[in-house]
Amino acid sequence: METNQTKAKPLALSGKMSNETFITFLMIGVLLFLFAVAAVFVPNFYQPRNILNLVTNSWYIIILGIGVTFLLITGNFDLSVGGVIAMTGVLSVYFSQAANVSQNELANGLGLPYGVAVVLALICAMGIGAVNSFFVVRIKVPSIIVTLGTMMLARGIAQIVTQGAQRNTSLPDVFGVIGNVSIPGTPVKISVVIMILLVIVAFIFERMTVHGRRTYLIGANAESARLSGVNVNRHLTTLFILSSLLAGITGLLMASEFKAGISNRATGYEFDALVISLLGGVSIAGGFGSVLGMFVGALILSVVTSAATGLLLSPDWQFTLKAIAVFIAILSQGYFLSRRKG
Amino acid sequence: MKRTTPLERNTGMQKNTLAVQQDWTAVFRSNLKHFYIYFVLALVVVIFSVVKLDEVDMFQRGHFLNPDNVINLLRIAVPIITVSGAFTFLMIAQYIDLSVGSAMSLSAVVFALMILNGYNFIVAMLVTMIVGILMGTLNGFLVMKLRITPVIATLVTLSLYKGIALLIVPDGLSSIKGNSDNPMPAWINDYGRKDVLLGLPAAFYVAIIIIAILVVVQRKTILGKYTAAIGGNRTAADLSGINAVAVIWLLYIIVGFCAAMAGMARASYMSLGDPLSGDGIETACIIAVLLGGTRFAGGEGAVEKTIIGAIIVICMTVGMLTIIPAYWQTFVMGSVLILAVVLNHLLVKD
Repeated sequence: METNQTKAKPLALSGKMSNETFITFLMIGVLLFLFAVAAVFVPNFYQPRNILNLVTNSWYIIILGIGVTFLLITGNFDLSVGGVIAMTGVLSVYFSQAANVSQNELANGLGLPYGVAVVLALICAMGIGAVNSFFVVRIKVPSIIVTLGTMMLARGIAQIVTQGAQRNTSLPDVFGVIGNVSIPGTPVKISVVIMILLVIVAFIFERMTVHGRRTYLIGANAESARLSGVNVNRHLTTLFILSSLLAGITGLLMASEFKAGISNRATGYEFDALVISLLGGVSIAGGFGSVLGMFVGALILSVVTSAATGLLLSPDWQFTLKAIAVFIAILSQGYFLSRRKG
Repeated sequence: MKRTTPLERNTGMQKNTLAVQQDWTAVFRSNLKHFYIYFVLALVVVIFSVVKLDEVDMFQRGHFLNPDNVINLLRIAVPIITVSGAFTFLMIAQYIDLSVGSAMSLSAVVFALMILNGYNFIVAMLVTMIVGILMGTLNGFLVMKLRITPVIATLVTLSLYKGIALLIVPDGLSSIKGNSDNPMPAWINDYGRKDVLLGLPAAFYVAIIIIAILVVVQRKTILGKYTAAIGGNRTAADLSGINAVAVIWLLYIIVGFCAAMAGMARASYMSLGDPLSGDGIETACIIAVLLGGTRFAGGEGAVEKTIIGAIIVICMTVGMLTIIPAYWQTFVMGSVLILAVVLNHLLVKD
């Protein structure tokens, strides 16, 4: 009886670290270790400028990772994020290109004001999320199948609008501002600031709001969540639309950064987003994981890939390295968690 | 016990439970459920035959049903036909293997590399088969022994196999191919292109044999029954003593083997080993399996219907190219997947 009562105490009161925090600290340890190894072998790896780059260069994957992490916690996948980035970028360009200025079809857009174009593009992105959630929630199709379909739909729309290439002419000057302006005096771009803000908001949402905690409940046991009065369907719908919205914001920022809507942009990002979530300790099995862990996972991936580049490994190594990193992460996290319980 | 077709079983059940006047709708529904895939195929073929009839005559060069075009279509369909049968088994058991495309690419690269380095066909084929079996074994190990979620485990091996295939290809080349010093032997084409019977190559008949074996396995052997049992109700299957770990592991190995055969056919068809040649085959397989009426909740499905689904997918891919620009391809395939899901939901669900 005594032990049962102590077990029943909330983790916060018992003074014991929660499993998520434990995994996050574990992964921070791994990050520091990998960084130390890389600093020894790769020249100039330890320099502050490079450390800053490690964080700032992965802003887009972290923004994607927020939505993907929450969905993974509920036991769902979102493979459509890469396609949504391409679609939103291309559509925002198409909407804001000047109308009837050239013989070239790809130079003519709809001539809408930039603000309207952005809002419309984001609505289209949320539309993809709505399609995802409709099939997953109403028809009960496995999310992997639906989001594979909407990934192709979204990228298909991007390819149709750009005729398989890109749109980059007759854009208003304001289009290239938000993706390229940096904070005065530093090389840090606005996109990075947006990323940091989104991570903080997501962290507060995850830890301190009822909705955030419900996400874990749904992941642990959707049926018991439903029976205890959580509107599981509405919650999942919100999360799918949120994930697509975040992908849409990323798409807008990237289109602005390059001042072009490129139809094959962000190929494979859905996999990278999944990789950083898994590196950060998200488990599909049962409502487990955290945004902070995902952030650390993104840094680990960043260190690994840039160290590989620094060691002059061919870019072909990226796929293999990512696969090995995830294998090690999944196995070691499982091992440490089981030891902690035992 | 008397063997009954699914149709008879269903209508029999309906008679017991429903009023008599509803019986014919039940018969209709159950007929529709079992045969709609053939209607869809007929519809697709008819549409593509009619759509350009004002420009080309029936069966003439450039027409969809022109014999050369049909043969070409079936040759292109070889890899997906080879893989999708075994893929159906996995989907029936509620598992999935997203790494088939990469496994196919890696097999193609290995096969082409062996041929380029002077090994004969039999040796190259055996090595490729072993590679395929090893890849399937690794997938099965990760999913069944280490208990990693199938989607994640096979997404990771997708990345791994593709990475290895890319690493095998020498720097500066996009694929394993011959050059003037070391040309690719011309007979590498024989397996995937040379006319054996009715204008179709050996690879096509190998695919048909694989499918025939899988159909027999599904209908007549205990493996087929166990697969359906595991997909239908995992707990019940475990409790009735089915060794799910062994069954699913075996299925992963079969899928890996089939992917290797498909990669070989593709390498032989293109006479080079392209490390990206299998990309997207997993999506095509999923579309084929869903079109073929395998329930996405598992437990029910048929290999032969998946093959019809695979042929529909290839018809769409080839036929669409003749009427709309190539950059519509992704969108069309995405729509077909969503459509397959909707059809599956409306017709297959009981």
